[in-house]
Formats: sequence, C-alpha cells, structure tokens
Amino acid sequence: MMELMNKKNYFFILSAVLILIGALFLLINGGFNWDIQFEGGTIIKIEMIDDDYDATAAEADIENLLGKGVTVQKETTFNPEDQESNLALMSIKVSKENTLDSAEINQVIDFLTESSDYNVQSDTQPQIQSVAPFIGVELRNKALMAAGWAMLLIVVYVGIRFRVMSGISAALFGIVALIHDALIMLSVYTVFNIPVNEVFVAAILTIIGYSMNDTIVIYDRIRENSAVMNKADIEKMVNTSIWQSLPRTINTLVTTLLTITTLYIFAAIYNVESIRQFAFPLLIGLTSGSYSSIFIATPLWMMWRKYRIKKKLLEAK
Amino acid sequence: MAKPRRIDYSSVQKKEPKLKPGAKLWIKFTVAVLLVAFFVIMILVGSPGLGVSKVSDVKTGIDIRGGVSATLYPDVDDIGSVTDEQLQTIQGILENRIEAKGTFDYNMSPDYENKRLLLEIPYTSGDDTNPQKVIDDLGEMALLTFQRWDEEKYGFDENGRFVFLVEESEMKDDDIILDGTDVKDAVAMLNREDNSYMVALSLNETGAEKFAVATSELINRPIAIYLDDELKSYPFVSSAITGGEASITGNFTIEEAVEMANYIKYGALPFAMTAKEINSITPILGESALNVTLNAAFVAFILVVLFMLFRYRLPGLVASIALIGLVASEIFWISAFNASITLPGIAGIILTIGMGVDANVIIYERIKEELKGGIGLDEAIDVGFKRAFSTILDANVTTLITGAALYIVGSGPIKGFALTLIIGIIMSFFTAIIVVKYLLKALASVKTFQKKWLYGIKEVTK
Repeated sequence: MMELMNKKNYFFILSAVLILIGALFLLINGGFNWDIQFEGGTIIKIEMIDDDYDATAAEADIENLLGKGVTVQKETTFNPEDQESNLALMSIKVSKENTLDSAEINQVIDFLTESSDYNVQSDTQPQIQSVAPFIGVELRNKALMAAGWAMLLIVVYVGIRFRVMSGISAALFGIVALIHDALIMLSVYTVFNIPVNEVFVAAILTIIGYSMNDTIVIYDRIRENSAVMNKADIEKMVNTSIWQSLPRTINTLVTTLLTITTLYIFAAIYNVESIRQFAFPLLIGLTSGSYSSIFIATPLWMMWRKYRIKKKLLEAK
Repeated sequence: MAKPRRIDYSSVQKKEPKLKPGAKLWIKFTVAVLLVAFFVIMILVGSPGLGVSKVSDVKTGIDIRGGVSATLYPDVDDIGSVTDEQLQTIQGILENRIEAKGTFDYNMSPDYENKRLLLEIPYTSGDDTNPQKVIDDLGEMALLTFQRWDEEKYGFDENGRFVFLVEESEMKDDDIILDGTDVKDAVAMLNREDNSYMVALSLNETGAEKFAVATSELINRPIAIYLDDELKSYPFVSSAITGGEASITGNFTIEEAVEMANYIKYGALPFAMTAKEINSITPILGESALNVTLNAAFVAFILVVLFMLFRYRLPGLVASIALIGLVASEIFWISAFNASITLPGIAGIILTIGMGVDANVIIYERIKEELKGGIGLDEAIDVGFKRAFSTILDANVTTLITGAALYIVGSGPIKGFALTLIIGIIMSFFTAIIVVKYLLKALASVKTFQKKWLYGIKEVTK
C-alpha cells in the first residue's frame, strides 16, 4: 500500500499550476468567453446547397442590409440522410451590441433566400439563436446563483450527515474539492477559449454532484474506520480508507468515463456541436472530480484534523 | 472454505409459516424480474391508461423535432408595472392569434415572476408554416389606437370627397384618442341600411368618456384607426357618441368586417410584446443529433455492461439487468410526467448509465472485501448491502441536490437533462437496493452460482 498522504504537496502543486494557467489565460483573454446565451447576440445558420458561396460578400451584403456589423463563416455539419456527405451551412454571427430582433432576422433570411448570389437550400428552416443582452445577463446570474445554492445545500447536508467525522469541516473540505473541480473546468474553458453557456453550467453542477458523491464515499470509509482503527495515527487511517475505496472510485470513474467518452467521440465524429459542447466539460469534470476527492479533499481534511489534535494536546499540557 | 450461512428467517416465518426461506427468496426474485419487465414492456408497447406512450411515441423537445422557442417581453419602460392579469390577457390574445394562423401545436406559458411569456412552436413536417414567421408576426402585432389627424393634412375636393393633402404615411401624428385597452368588444355586424357590413364596438367606461369628448369635436371628420403604424381605416363621425357603443362603417365585405373586428379585439393588447430571445432549430439538425446521440447511448450501454461483466461476473450480469430496468424506467417516467425527450436529456440518460452502476460498484466492492475476509457468500451479500446503504444514500442525495438546482433554473433542454438525472439517481437507488439485491440473493442461494470466481474472487485469503 503506497503512502499517498506524504505526497500530498505534489498534488496540491499540480492543481494550483493548472488553475494558475487558467487564471493567466483569463487575464490574456480579458475575461471569460461568454456564449451569446449569457451575453446577448444573434447567430443564424442557414443550410446551403454546397459551400461554394462567397462568405465575405455575404458579410458585406448583410451589413448593407441591416446597417449592423456581422460575421459570416462557412460551417458544415453531419447529414443524417447521407452518412458520406456533410451539410454546408452559412453561419451569421452578430455581437451583443447589435442583437437582431425578429423582424431583422427574417429580413436577413428573406434576403439570402431571394438573392441569386447565394445557393440557399430551399424549404429548410434556418437555425437561429438570438438573445437580448439583458436576458443573457439574467440567465448568467441565475445559473451562478443555482451553483451557489447547490453548493450551500450540499455543505449543510454533508455537515449534518458527517457530524461523527467533525461534521462541517469535512463538508467544507469537500466543497474545496468542488471549487477545485469547477476551477479546473473553467481553466480548460479559458485556455481553449470555449464559450461559457448554460450547458457548461449544467455540466459544472453535474460534476459538483458527482465529485461530492466521490468524496462522500471516501469520507464514509474514514467514518467507518475511525470507529475501529487507532485514531492517533490519523494519517494511516486516512491512507487505508483511500486505498479501500479506491477500487470503487476507479470503477465508477471507468463506467462514467466510458459512457461520456463514447458520447463525445460520437459527437466529434459526426460533428454534432450541441452534444460535444455537453460531453467535453463533463469529461474534464469527471476526471477532476475523482482526482480531487482523493488528492485534495481528503488530505486537506486530514491536515485539519492533525492540526486540531495537536492543538488539543498543547492545551492539555 | 467457509460454508454459506443461513439467514435467520424466523421473524418472517412467524407471519407466513407456510413459506420456506427459499420460496421467499424466489418470490422476491420474481418480483424483481417483473419490475424490470414492467418498465421494459411499458416503454415497448405503452399504456394509455397510465398515460405512458411507447418509446417511439414519447414527445421530443424542439431541439430534436425542430421548431422555435421564444421569450416574449412586454414593450414597456417599467416592467414592474405589468400585472399578472395583463399578462394573462395578453397570453389569451396571442394564443388566438397563433391559432388564427392555423398553428395549433404550440405551448405558451406565462412567467409571472419575470413578466414574460415563453412560447414554443415545434416544427410540423409537411406543414409549410414557418414557426419563425409566426413569432415574427406576433411581434409585429399590434397596438390598436384611434387617432385624431391634424386638420391641415386633409380636406375635401370640389365634389366634397375626402382627400389627403400629404402622403398617407405622413398623416399619423400619434394624437391618440383611444387605445386597445379602452375597447371591451368588437364584432362584425350587418348594417341593415345598405346591407354592407360594419364593426360594432363597445367601449369600457373610461373609453366611452374619452370617445364622447372626441366625437363631439370631430363631427363630419374622420377618426383614424391604426394598428401600430398601419392605417386600417378612417371612419367618419356622424354624431357625438356618448353611450360607449360605436360602429365603424365603410362598405366592408363580411370578411373585411370580421378581420377588422378581430384586429380590434385581438389587437387590444395593453402594450406590445417583443421576442427578446429566439431559438430556432432546424428539424434536420435535430434529427441528425438524435441519431448520433441514440447510437452513442447504445454503444455506451454495451460498454458498461461489458465492463461490469468483466469486472464483477455474476453480480455484473445482475447489475446489467437492473441497468436495462433503469434506462426503461427513465423513459417511462419522462413519458408519465408528460415531459419531452431532449438531447441533453438523452445525455443525462447516458450519464446515468455510467453513474447508475455506481451503487452496484459500491455494493460489489464491499461484497468482494467481505468475501476476501473469509465470510460466507450469503452473509457477505447481506453485509455488503447493509454497509453500502448509507454511502449510497449520502452520495445520491448530493447529486439530487444539484439536479434539483438545475431543474429550477434551467431552460427547456437543460430541464430535460436535470429531469433524467433526477429520475436516474432515484431509480438507480431503487434498482440497486431492490432489483439487484433480490436477484443476487436468490441466485446466490443456488449451488451452481456459489463459486467464488463468479464474484470476481480468485481465491480466499484468510
């Protein structure tokens, strides 16, 4: 049985470095890359017959039409009717300052459909996402509130359930691990400059639940072992508990990773953007969640206990 | 090797003395099998009586079907001044308008807290109506106003005919006499004098007062009726109208009169509503995403089953059977709650396939440990379930908390994810402590299934 607890500083440093890299990129990028859902803006995607059209010309034409700045890009997506080919899309993006209203959206679509310069696929529905900036901010705040409340409720629940194992402090270190996971996920998002949206927050919340779940399993083992093992050698007890619950941690990580990796691979091969957006943060979070339970939450709690015991001994003298 | 010990069934036997301990095990086994079978059959054939449709008929969200979702906001400066009643009235009016366009498959729900309406119109294949256009027209409609024109902008020619002295578009001055909120009702009626159609208006109290003042000043002059900026009509006032009942005449055909009456009645919004958030998904993309996600779900399921079989052998098989029940029950409850299957929802099911076996993993690892400790199989299973129970409970409650938080704040597709996550967690808890336990205990009582390798144990280390 390898001693994990005396190597804890390496793990702390590893996590700190990852999070620092994220923070660095946050500074370089000048903040998070908010999705239009959390910031406002408009995206219109129109199916084209093929990708043989002039995106720059379309950009100029639409800017002329609306008097607003737009970005036009060529995109492709998986064709459900023909596995061999891809569907060509024209993606029109408008920043939050210029968010289009419903009439303007129709104006753009009608213009492109009627213009002979663009080979728009007839009788298809365009894909549209348009969010007024104030709604974006409202959604963002709501999502952050939800994450906050969820964490608070978990602290309370774990605190109540783990009174034996010095209650609230155990819960708090569990929460440190959760914050660690959220920060790691955010770091990956800032490093790769991926837009943060509701799907991402959903993934973070899922991971929070999963990671706490993981931590609880280990804490539970400690709770059980503290009844039968020598409490004085807390390091040994914690180490034993981790090793005892390790098969479960790994096996559950394997089954969850299996499913989410499968989902991610399918989404990546077939270019299903919405699913990939969901699977990617989950993949990072699941790994981080299992890691943090063993290498962050548990050693931190152990250090706290040792400190308390030492303090008590000093007071006794 | 320690012999499997018998569980003490004495307390049970007192109640049901006729049953042998073994019989009891197999009854529970049958119950567990039936439970799994129930959910599987339900989603394969459906049951109208229980309000459950078969899996291919379960409603899909607009992220799969395609369609439009929009959030409509009142176009007022002080959104706090909007009352719930106003929002209800508007909802009724907008529903009429949508249906007037031949769209019946839609869902509009008010959000009183944030003073807005959420509208979803799924795409119907074979239907030419473009949902995006429906929403656009809703936004365009229409603030009804009765307006006074500047008298210098019109006159009468030598034949006494009414003429505009400026372009029609320049007539509007926004000198408003009445607006839609002053109108109680508007109906198309036959004008017996010349057999043409007219629109009969009835005004509420404040409307009647304002109208009486204005009509007494405007005898033989027109009152312009606008829907937003569009001039719909400009009937002439023949005499002051004091009773709150008025009619708009103008040689209308019945269709014109009905349309006008509808404009007035349904156009009587206290304020305009605009779509500030629009999401439109093409059915073709939704469909492709659905296929990909379903294939991923299938492969993920197979992989997890293979892993469980490889890692846990016989208990792994039992867990896989329970997993079938879990997935079936998730679809069952989605259908029973009349919720929609969304892409994140399927992702949620996929995630619960992975997370759902966690309870089994915790129990089986425990059983393995106990077996390695040298106690009998039967007892090891009992101890495994008993010791793992509190861990599973605690671990599931935290995931439930986050699931609930997501369900409360999430929008449509995310709600779908939260729902499958919540159902998945609860059902995985029950399948683990009921289905898995009953199946495993009964199987473990059979001699053939008592070999240690079937439980992933190579040898007994004492």
